[in-house]
Amino acid sequence: MSKPMLKMTTAFADVMPAEYVELVQNGPFGKGYGVADLGSFKELIEEHPLCAGCGLALAVRLIMASLPTPEDTVVVGSTGCSSLAFPQIALQNIHSLFGNQNAVASGLKRALKLRFPDKHKDVLVVAGDGATADIGLDMVMHSWFRGEKLATIMLDNEAYANTGGQESGMSPEGCVLNMAPTGKKFKKIALPEIARESGCAYVASVTPVQPRKLEKAVRRAILVAREVGPTYVQIFVPCPTNFKFKPQETLAKAKQKEKDQTYPLREFITPEAQAYLAALEGGGKHD
Amino acid sequence: MYVTAKVDEPKCIGCKLCIFACPDPNVFTFVKDKKKVIVNPARCKGCGLCVSVCPKDALVIGNV
Repeated sequence: MSKPMLKMTTAFADVMPAEYVELVQNGPFGKGYGVADLGSFKELIEEHPLCAGCGLALAVRLIMASLPTPEDTVVVGSTGCSSLAFPQIALQNIHSLFGNQNAVASGLKRALKLRFPDKHKDVLVVAGDGATADIGLDMVMHSWFRGEKLATIMLDNEAYANTGGQESGMSPEGCVLNMAPTGKKFKKIALPEIARESGCAYVASVTPVQPRKLEKAVRRAILVAREVGPTYVQIFVPCPTNFKFKPQETLAKAKQKEKDQTYPLREFITPEAQAYLAALEGGGKHD
Repeated sequence: MYVTAKVDEPKCIGCKLCIFACPDPNVFTFVKDKKKVIVNPARCKGCGLCVSVCPKDALVIGNV
């Protein structure tokens, strides 16, 4: 998307939807807003059909606020709860088949590199835990093995929440869900460690309890993916509908899991990525 | 029954924690010169996450 595309023909201003007019007048494009500025600009995401108190919706909202250059970002999504939010996002967005998101994004990134050789076009993969860790694991891991410069973000709600609550590879051991009444028999997949060993230059796991930390992780992932190599961010997003707690307890659940180390927060950075980030962040360009 | 968040203006200190906790976009607007937040009741789903993070109990969930 180029910035002139975001201007409106004045003759049509009175027939445009109010949300669109607001986005053109007070949107975040080209202004360098971050999470700290939320509440003072029109957000990229519009009213979505996700449940009240959904942690995933909060994480998507914070991700959209932390993009370094939203006008040059393309989001590739996949089937799941997150795909209900993406049609409401004012960015170029591709919905791929279930599990194909990193394969689609690899091709897209290569094409954008050929079309815009002198510009950074960020390709951001945002998918749920089912699409990343179960169904699309081979596409995700092979994009890391090939060293595709993609930022992969997993919204980990620890279940297939969209289809009624089946267990996923990321569900914790012993977890009982609507469609998993006997409890899960094996451990949660350690995807951050897998990502580190598969060649990711930057790996982080965060929760939306600390929005600044989430913003930092997402920004670092996108910036490292521009120059150094693949990156992976895992965000824990509690699901009140399938895990049967009240919607106002979402953040408390995430905080509790963070505290008792059942969802450890980790960050791995390779020395090259560290040097690249130090050059960027030391110069005061970002953060 | 429709419910929405309501701000008790004198209690609000403008810390913006509710803005960072709300899962729905554009519900809270931060008014810079008054240093307070206002709620757009048409967008609020009434989940109560903002109430759980407010340090001054300035937010309540109530009927529209």
